Amino acid sequence: MSDDTRILSVRGLNVQIPIPGSTLWPVRDVNIDVGRGETVAVVGESGCGKSLTALAIMGLLPRQAKVQSEALRLNAESLAEASPKRWRQLRGDRIAMIFQDPMTALDPCYRIGDQMCEILQQHRKISRSAAMKRSLDLLGKVGIPAPEERLKQYPHQLSGGLRQRVMIAMALLCEPELIIADEPTTALDVTIQAQILRLLRDIQRETNIGLLLITHDLGVVAGMADRIVVMYGGEVVEVGTCDQVLAQPLHPYTEGLVRSIPVPGETEQGEALGYIPGIVPRQVGERTACGFVDRCPYATSACREEPIAMRDAGDGRLMRCILPTDGSARDPDVWILPDETSAQGATNSGSL
Amino acid sequence: MPEVLTMRGVTRDYSVGSGFARKQTLRALRGVDLGVERGKTLGLVGESGCGKSTLAKILLGVEEPTSGEVLVGGKPIQSYDRIERARLIQPVFQDPYSSLNPRMTVEAIIAAPMRVRGEGGRSLQAKVHELAGEVGLPRHLVEAYPSQLSGGQRQRVAIARALIGEPEILICDEPTSALDVSVQSQILNLLHNLKRQLNLTMILISHNLAVVHHLADDVAVMYLGQIVERGPSRDIFEAARHPYSDALLKAVLPPRAGVRLPEMGLEAEFPSPVNPPSGCTFHPRCQKARALCAEQAPCRTDADAEHSYRCHFPNNLKDEECPQV
Amino acid sequence: MSPGRVALRRAIRHGGFWIGGTIIFVIVLMAIFAPLLTPYDPSVQSLSEGFVPPVWAEAGSWEHPLGTDNLGRDYFARLLYGARISLGLGLLTVIISGTIGTAMGITAGYWGGWPDMIINFFITVRLTLPVVLVALVVVALIGSSLWLLILVIGLLLWDRFAIVVRSATQQLAQREYITSARAIGSSTPRILFREILPNITGPLVVVTSIEIAHAILLEAALSFLGLGVQPPDVSWGLMVAEAKAQLLFRPWMIAIPGAALVLLIFAINLVGDALRDVTTPEGKA
Repeated sequence: MSDDTRILSVRGLNVQIPIPGSTLWPVRDVNIDVGRGETVAVVGESGCGKSLTALAIMGLLPRQAKVQSEALRLNAESLAEASPKRWRQLRGDRIAMIFQDPMTALDPCYRIGDQMCEILQQHRKISRSAAMKRSLDLLGKVGIPAPEERLKQYPHQLSGGLRQRVMIAMALLCEPELIIADEPTTALDVTIQAQILRLLRDIQRETNIGLLLITHDLGVVAGMADRIVVMYGGEVVEVGTCDQVLAQPLHPYTEGLVRSIPVPGETEQGEALGYIPGIVPRQVGERTACGFVDRCPYATSACREEPIAMRDAGDGRLMRCILPTDGSARDPDVWILPDETSAQGATNSGSL
Repeated sequence: MPEVLTMRGVTRDYSVGSGFARKQTLRALRGVDLGVERGKTLGLVGESGCGKSTLAKILLGVEEPTSGEVLVGGKPIQSYDRIERARLIQPVFQDPYSSLNPRMTVEAIIAAPMRVRGEGGRSLQAKVHELAGEVGLPRHLVEAYPSQLSGGQRQRVAIARALIGEPEILICDEPTSALDVSVQSQILNLLHNLKRQLNLTMILISHNLAVVHHLADDVAVMYLGQIVERGPSRDIFEAARHPYSDALLKAVLPPRAGVRLPEMGLEAEFPSPVNPPSGCTFHPRCQKARALCAEQAPCRTDADAEHSYRCHFPNNLKDEECPQV
Repeated sequence: MSPGRVALRRAIRHGGFWIGGTIIFVIVLMAIFAPLLTPYDPSVQSLSEGFVPPVWAEAGSWEHPLGTDNLGRDYFARLLYGARISLGLGLLTVIISGTIGTAMGITAGYWGGWPDMIINFFITVRLTLPVVLVALVVVALIGSSLWLLILVIGLLLWDRFAIVVRSATQQLAQREYITSARAIGSSTPRILFREILPNITGPLVVVTSIEIAHAILLEAALSFLGLGVQPPDVSWGLMVAEAKAQLLFRPWMIAIPGAALVLLIFAINLVGDALRDVTTPEGKA
C-alpha cells in the first residue's frame, strides 16, 4: 500500500504498565496499517491486547500506561507527538471511535440531539440549527426510523440496536477519515448484528473511510474485513488478507481458532471440535521464547530458544512462527486432542 | 420414546411499571407447548425478549407459570418439593464469573447439591474428585477458590455441580457465550461426551446457532414468547419454514473465506413485549407480511410429524391460508 | 487462597491498618490488664489528695502519673477502667445493632416487595429520630443502668447496618450463584446464611467499625449530659463530663479523657478505612 492511500500507520507500538515488582506488557511491538476505504480487522481473544491497542492509537490510555511507538501516523501527521489540544481536535473529527456498549458510551442525561450537536459544534463553526439538521440527516442515513423524534429522546428510550446506530451516526458527524470500532456488535442480537455490520460496510464504501475493526468474532471478520491482523499475548502473530488467512491460516494460533469453531453445514453434529489447551499467560517482562509455545501443539525446542520475529510468508502475508510458510508440517487433527472426559484428558487440558 | 419433560400452554406474565405508574402487563411467554424425549437435546434459540430465559427459570422452579402446566416425568412440576425437583433438573448458567459462590471452595461448590439433601462424608468427597476428573478439572484445583480459576475451568465446575446429583434433565442457558472461542469448543466437546455417557436429556438455550447445531437433536425457535418453529435439527437448518428462522440462520457468519454479509430482509426494530404487534407478532419485521398477518395470529401448522411452525406464508410453500382449526 | 485470606494479606500491607490496629490493641490491653497496671481503685476517693496535677506539671509526681480528680481518685486508674466500659459498650451495642440491622437489611434486600417497603419505612422513621434526644428521654424515664444504656444504644444505631446490608444483598440476589443455590434445592435459610452472608462480609466489616466508633461517641455524649454511665462506674465520657467545670483551671482533666477518645475513634476509623480499601477492589469473584 502506498503512503498516499494509507490513513493510519502504526509501527512498533508498545504499551507497558508498571506493577509492583515488574512490568506488564500488554501490547508488544504492534504494526498496523489501514488504507483509505479499507477494513482492517484486529482479531484475538480476551487478553490479547487488541482493545488496549485501539485505545493507545486514540490516545485514550490512562497516564500510568507508558505508550511508545516508532511511528503513529494519521495521514502524514504524527499522533505520538500530538499535544493534548491537538488530540481533542482530532478525536471525533478525524478519528472517531465506536464502542461496544452504547449505553455506557452515550450520556444518559442528555438527549440524543443535544449530544450530537455538541460534537458538531465542538469541531465546526456551525449554528445549532445547522447542527441539528446534519444530525437529522445522519440519523436517517443510518436507518433510524422517525429520526425527528429520536433527536428529542434519551438514550434509555432506544433499543440496543438503535443506540448502536446512533453511535455510528455520531461517529460520522464530522466526516472522519478513520473509524475505530471496538467490538461494535458483540452486545447486540444476532439479527441486529448483521444489519449493523451491513450498515457499516455500506457507509464505508460510500465515504471511503478507513475502518479499524476490533473483534474476537471470526465470523464478523469473515464478513467485513479486507485484511486481518491476528493478535495473541500482546503481539501481532499473523497478517494477511481476509481470504488468505481464513482459507489457510499460517500461525498455529490462528489455525487453532479456526478449527475450534463449529460451522453448520461443515462440521458434523457432535464432531469433536478442536481446541487450544491452556490459558493465556500474563504478559510480564521480556520475552525469552515464542509467546504461544506453551499451548502450541507444533512446538519444538527451537521455539523456546529465543523470541520469534515476524517473517514474510510471501504474497503480502506475515507470520510470527518458524514453521514453514507453505503450509506443510501442518496437521488439522492436531487440534483435536485426547478425549476431554478421560482422566488423561484432564491432565492435558484445562491446566493453569 | 417417553417424554421426560412436557410443557402445555405455559404463559408467564409480569407486571411492570414503577412506583405509582399504572401497571402494564409484560407477557414473557404466551402459550408455549414443548416436549422433550429422554436422552434427547432440545435447542432453544431466540434473541433478547423471546422468553427463553423465563422458560429456563420456570423449569428450574425459580418462577411459576401464570397459566399452563409443566410436567416432569409425567407429573406436574409443582408436585415435587424443592429437593426432589433439584434431583431431576439442574442448570448450567452463562456467566462463569457469577455462577459460583466466591467464598466456597470448588469442592464445596460441587458437593453442595448433595449436602443440601443431607448426604456427605468421605464417599461424597471421593465422588467430587471423580467428577472433577470427568469434567477435565485438574486435581489440584479442587481445593481452590473460584477466583483462581479461568472462565473455562469455572464452567467445568458448574457442570460438575449440575451433574453430581445425577439429574435427568440438564438446562444449559448460554453455557458458552461468555467464554473465549477456543474454550467454547472444549466445553461443547465436554457437554457432548457427557450427555452421551449419562444419557442426559438436555435443554440448550443459546442465541448462537452454530452451538445449537453442534449439540441439539431438535430445535425450537422462539420469538416474543412463542415458539414459531420446531423440528429436528436437520429440518430446521436445511429447510426452515418460518421467516424468522431463516433470518437467524442467515445471520450466522462462518469464519470462512469468501463469506458475504447477508441481506437480512428485516424491517424496523424489535417490538416490546409489553406492547406486542397484533396478529402474527413477527409481521412488522417480516418482508413477506401481508394484510392477513397483521389481523390474525397464525396457529400451529404441522409440516410433518415432528416439524411444526406458525406462519401464514411459510417458505417452500405456495400461498396458503392457515388451516381452519 | 480464600478471599478472606487475600483480604488479610492486603490488610497487613496497609499502613493505616497497622497504626490504627496498634493503637486499638494497646488500648484493649490496657483495659484488660487494668488491675495490673495500677494499684488504685478508680472509685476510691481520697479527698485530701484532690486535684493533684499529672506528673509533667510542677506539683505532680509518679505516685499519680496522670494526677487525680476533684475527689482524689487516681486519673490513670480511671482512664484504664474507663477504657473497659467505653470499649465494652462499643462492642456490645454493635452486636445488638448489627444483628438487628443485618437481619432487616437481608430481609429487605433478598425478598424485595412488601418486606422491603415495610423495612424501608422503619429505616426512614429511625433516620428522622434525633438519636441523642431519644436516648436521653428513654434514659431519663427508665433509668440508666449500664445494661439499659447498652440496650438503648443498640436499639437505636442499627440503621446504617440495615441500609448497607440491604444494598449489598440486593446486588448479590441477582447473581447466578444464588439462582443456582435455589436450583439445587437449598432452603432459604441455607441460602441466606451460606451464600449471602459470607459474601457481604466486606461492607459489613466496614460498617461495623464505623458503628463501634459511633456507639462510643454516643455514650460519651450521653455521659457528658449526665444520662449515660453513672458513678461508681467510669467511662471516658463521664470523665469529660466531670471535668468540664475545671476546664479553665485544670485543663488536663478534660484533655486526658478527651484525647483518649479522639485517639480511639481515630484508630477505629483508620482500621475501618483500611478494611474498606482492602475489601473493595475485589474485581470479579
